[in-house]
Amino acid sequence: MASEAAARKALEVAGVTKRFGAVTAVDEITFSVPQGRITCLLGPSGCGKTTSLRLIAGFEFPDSGVISIGGATMSRERPYERKVGLLFQDYALFPHMTVHENVCYGLKHRRYPKAAIQNRSRAVLELVKLRGLEQRYPSQLSGGQQQRVALARALAPEPDILLLDEPLSALDAKLRDELRVELKDILDKVDCTTIVVTHDQEEAMSLGNSIIVMNEGRIEQEGSPSEIYARPANRFVADFVGRSNWLRGVVLDAGPMEGFVWVELGNGAKVRSRCPAAPAGSACDLFVRPEAFTVASAADRGSKETLTGRVHDVSPLGSDVHVTVDVEGVGRVVVVRKNQWGDRLQRGDHVTLAFEAADSLVFALDR
Amino acid sequence: MKTMRGKRWIDDTCRVAMHVLFAFTFLFLFVPVLVSVTMAFDARPYLAPFPPSGLSLQWFGEFFSSDYLLQGLWTSLILASASSLVAMAVGSLAAFGLDRARFRGRELLLSLFLSPLIVPGVILGFGLLLLFSSLDLLEGLPRLIAGHVLITFPLCLRATLASLVGIRKSLTEAAMSLGATEWQALWEITFPLARTGVLAGGIFAFAVSMDDVAVALFLSDPTIYTLPIALVSMMRANFDLTIAAASLFLLVLAAFSTWLLARCVDLGQGVYRKP
Repeated sequence: MASEAAARKALEVAGVTKRFGAVTAVDEITFSVPQGRITCLLGPSGCGKTTSLRLIAGFEFPDSGVISIGGATMSRERPYERKVGLLFQDYALFPHMTVHENVCYGLKHRRYPKAAIQNRSRAVLELVKLRGLEQRYPSQLSGGQQQRVALARALAPEPDILLLDEPLSALDAKLRDELRVELKDILDKVDCTTIVVTHDQEEAMSLGNSIIVMNEGRIEQEGSPSEIYARPANRFVADFVGRSNWLRGVVLDAGPMEGFVWVELGNGAKVRSRCPAAPAGSACDLFVRPEAFTVASAADRGSKETLTGRVHDVSPLGSDVHVTVDVEGVGRVVVVRKNQWGDRLQRGDHVTLAFEAADSLVFALDR
Repeated sequence: MKTMRGKRWIDDTCRVAMHVLFAFTFLFLFVPVLVSVTMAFDARPYLAPFPPSGLSLQWFGEFFSSDYLLQGLWTSLILASASSLVAMAVGSLAAFGLDRARFRGRELLLSLFLSPLIVPGVILGFGLLLLFSSLDLLEGLPRLIAGHVLITFPLCLRATLASLVGIRKSLTEAAMSLGATEWQALWEITFPLARTGVLAGGIFAFAVSMDDVAVALFLSDPTIYTLPIALVSMMRANFDLTIAAASLFLLVLAAFSTWLLARCVDLGQGVYRKP
């Protein structure tokens, strides 16, 4: 019998592999999604996230491994034998049907009684704020409205799992920010187990309760958005999620605290850094987020790690200022700060940057 | 300045030349039709040179009182209706299949299906005659229908395939994720969206079947023959203007049925239905 913990898992993917000819699109992936949570599959194109989605929806069948939905094995069930709602990237609204007919399509096929169909259709259109547009055809709606119809259509038959395929990528940047908030509100209200597939880390971070980073058919890291961002498990995740600085150095020895080491950088500076596992004497890369840097104050020297360099460029980009600093023997460092002190720095200035040892991470070089 | 004017001169000349070309093409296409339409109303009781000296409806009277021609017309109508319906069903199903299938030899199969369009009708007709008689298989009307399905279904296949190109695969998948089976998705989503192509193919098929001589010539027999066959054999025996009257009748029939169909099914309206 399934334990209580297992029963609360709405979706379980266990050791699933899918090959297309010689290409392994999904390679032995295992993850689970708890009831009512939103999980994002994040990765570059071709990483296997879309194939994973299609496997869960039932458009593809795994070569090996098991997919279970609500505790029942569904590996080889057809799409209409699972209760999975799907928001397609191109929305896939039926162009020959009105908004109302689109929304009712799933309800009819899921055998809802006549009265329930009307109620349910009204409720989901209310939810996505599209009441009054029932008799329109998809071609008469804006992109954002079409997306909400598609979402309403997917939610109408009360699916066990909702899959969103790149939900915001087809919209332009400004609309995207608006709709992201709106989408989040809707998902909060329906409380449906949701999987979002996206290549956009902002989308993943803002929508997901947890994020699964994928690359080349494998899962690189699974965790909360802040975990993924602050403590990437490997170089790929660090590079793919957010911007990062890589400072080449050598691990010297264990630092004063547990889990920290001293690293000697190319310019001879010795800094402390968080380090999960790297033997002393090995070459390494020190990873620091651009916004982890500050301009060092007098108090910082001693308590924080510091680097001295010369300002190469200052680019005010609205709310943020991007500053590039050339550190001799280390390379170019990108610093992102709020647009408050940016005007004080100028090209050619000598500057001392500081960062907390806890905000950096040491990755051993692969070879 | 000078080169500009030179270029304008070339533009103007080309425009005039194009209009002349259009006019010639138009005349080439329509003068024969106009001549035969006019001759159908010829009042002279014998075949005489164009233009007619007076007008009458006598040749239409001849046409509608000739049992021989009327029986041919009746056969043609039944044949064209039956074969275009079968061709529409077979052709559109083949198109649905070929559109989504990705297998080795798909292109070859498609070429094979479309080959009746390039094989001369005489060869097809003769081949079918030999095949059917050696197998002792079909006779009379069913034999004619079989022959006409063969030459018309590639038209339906091609028209349907063309209309399927614009239909995204995600629509079928959306239908299936909403609980529709493969058949329901085909019938409720793909077919209504491809309807224009399917019906356009059907109209082509009907027209080709009404018009065909080459294949029908081999598959007709003294009791079952089509209107074109009747007209051809009448032309050999006693050539008079009943043929012109019959042609005009067919022309009007074709124009009327196309107009009727267009009104009923929004022909040419594309995928999106107006509210």
